[in-house]
Amino acid sequence: MTRAGAAPGRRLTCAVAVLLLGAAGRPLAAAETLEVREVAHGVFVHEGRPLSVNAQGREDIANLGFIVGSRCVAVIDTGGSAAIGAALREAVRAHTAKPVCFVINTHVHFDHLLGNGAFLSDHPRFLGHPQLPAALARSRALLVDTYGAQPQVFASIAAPSTAPGTPPPADIDLGGRRLKLTAWPTAHTDCDLTVFDAATGTLFAGDLLFIGRTPALEGSLNGWLGALDDLGRERVRRVIPGHGPPTTDFRQALAAERSYLQDLKATVQAALAAGQSLPETLHQARAPAGGWLLWEENEPRNLARAYEELEWQ
Amino acid sequence: MTHTRLVPGLVTAAVLLTLPPSGTADETPAVGAWQNMRPHLYGERPISESGDELMTIEAPASTPDPAATAVTVHFGEGLEGRVRQVRVIIDNNPSPLAATFTLRPGLALEALDLRVRIDRYTSVRAIAETTDGQLEMRSAWVNAAGGCSTPPSAAPPGTLGEVRFRPSADGHALQVSIRHPNNSGFQIDPRSGDPIPPHFISRLRLLAGDEVLVDAETGISLSENPTLRLRSRDPMPSPLKLEATDIPSQQLFTATWTASPAAGTR
Repeated sequence: MTRAGAAPGRRLTCAVAVLLLGAAGRPLAAAETLEVREVAHGVFVHEGRPLSVNAQGREDIANLGFIVGSRCVAVIDTGGSAAIGAALREAVRAHTAKPVCFVINTHVHFDHLLGNGAFLSDHPRFLGHPQLPAALARSRALLVDTYGAQPQVFASIAAPSTAPGTPPPADIDLGGRRLKLTAWPTAHTDCDLTVFDAATGTLFAGDLLFIGRTPALEGSLNGWLGALDDLGRERVRRVIPGHGPPTTDFRQALAAERSYLQDLKATVQAALAAGQSLPETLHQARAPAGGWLLWEENEPRNLARAYEELEWQ
Repeated sequence: MTHTRLVPGLVTAAVLLTLPPSGTADETPAVGAWQNMRPHLYGERPISESGDELMTIEAPASTPDPAATAVTVHFGEGLEGRVRQVRVIIDNNPSPLAATFTLRPGLALEALDLRVRIDRYTSVRAIAETTDGQLEMRSAWVNAAGGCSTPPSAAPPGTLGEVRFRPSADGHALQVSIRHPNNSGFQIDPRSGDPIPPHFISRLRLLAGDEVLVDAETGISLSENPTLRLRSRDPMPSPLKLEATDIPSQQLFTATWTASPAAGTR
C-alpha cells in the first residue's frame, strides 16, 4: 500500500520500531495464529488494521486470505513481516491439513508480501504479475532497509513461476475449485493482480480497491480509473479489498473509490489549467472528504503523482 | 566564464565515476559531497547561509514523490535582478550537482522551480552568486528513498523532445517541461528486468530573441520529463525559445512559446 520511497521510518527508526515491538508492542511469536474468518465457504480472510505505514504494527495493515480447494490451498498475500507470514501459515494449518500449492501476491508493497518466506517450506508456486519481479528488484533496498525484508522474500519471487515477464496462468485449480487471475495494466502500481473465486463469487481485489482508507496512487490515475470501469463489469458477490472491511456491496465500494480518484483528477486538472506549479498545487491540498482514513498521509503524494501524469495530457 | 562552466561538468563526471550506484545494501551514504565540491566550485570564498529575506529554499521534508521532488528557490527583493548564477546540489545523490543556472543580468527572478530525483535522505542546497560576487546558500532536508531507481512513470511516453509551456494566470511565471525519460542509469526496465542506460538532458536554454535568459546545465538528478519554472517580478518576455540538448545523441530539441493575448494581465 505504500509507495516505494514514501519514506516512513529510516534505518534508525526502523531499528527502534523492531525493539519496541519485541518489548511492549504486539509481539508475534512464530507459533502465534493470525485471526481469520471464513467469509464464504472455504474462503478465509484476515482483516488488516487501519494503521499508518509509519505506525507500530504496520506489518499487519493489509487484508490477507486463503482459499481451500479439495486438493490444496491458495494463499493470497502474506503480510508485512516474516512473523505475520508465519502466523498466517499457522492459521491455514488451523483450518485445513491440505498443502499450500499457490502463494499469490497482489502487488509489490511490503504489507502484502514480506511474509512469503514462511511458505517456502511448503514448496508452493509463487504467482504474481509479470512485472512483479522487476518491481521487487527495484524496491529491494527500501524493503530491506525500511521494512526489514528477509532474503527469503526475494528467493520466493525469484522462483521460475515468477520470472520477469512470465504471465501468471489465467486460472489455477485447487481441486474442484478454480481461481481466475487477472494481471492489470498500471493502476495502483505497475504490478496489480486480482484473484476471483468463481465458486463463491469472491474477488480479492488487492490494492485496486481501498475501503475506508485513502487510496494510495503509485501507478497511473487514468489506469486506475480504467481498471475500476473493467472491475465494475464483473459479477462479484463479495469483495476483499486490499485495505478495509470486506463487503458484499461491491458497487458501492467501487463508486466511493471512483469518486475519490475522480475528484483528485478534477483538482489536478484545474490546477494545471490555472498554470499552477506542483508545489502550489500541493499547498492548496484538498480538505479531507468522504471520511477516508489517513488522508494526510496519502493525499499529497496522490496529488503529486496525478500532477505528473496529467500535465502531459 | 568559460572555465567556470567547465568545472561543474568535471565535478559531475568525477562524482559519477567514483560513487557506486545506489541501492546496494553495504553502501554508506555520500554525506561529504558538498564538502568535497565546495573548494572546486567556490574555493575559500565566504558563503552566507542565513537570512530568509534574501533567499529561501523550499522542498518537502518528506517528499510525496522521490523521483520527482519539487524544489523551489525563492529570491527576496535584495537579490532580485542581482543573481548571475544558481547551483542546486543534492548531497547524497549519485550525481550531486543537479543543475547550474546562469541568468541574464538584471533578470528579476522571484522564484526558480525544478523537479529532482532524491536517492536517499539528503540536504538539498541552492547557492546563488550575485553579479558582484556575493555567495548565498540555503539548504533544506528531504527525507526520501529510491528516486534515482524509480522506474519510468506510468504516463504514456509521448514524443521525445515534445515541449509544454505552462504560463501562470498573471503571466509572470512560466513552466517549461520537456518530454524526456531523463534516465539516470540507475533504473531497471520493469518489463525486461534489464538496466536502463543513461539518457538525459544536459543543457536547457531559454532565449528571448538572441538574448539568453537562462542557461542551465543539467543532468541525471532532474526528474523524468525535466521541468523548470521561472517566476519573475516582470511579465515573462515573449516569444521565448527553449533549446534542450539530449545526451548521448547531442540532438537539440527546440520550441517557442508566445504569450497568448488572452493570458496574462499585461
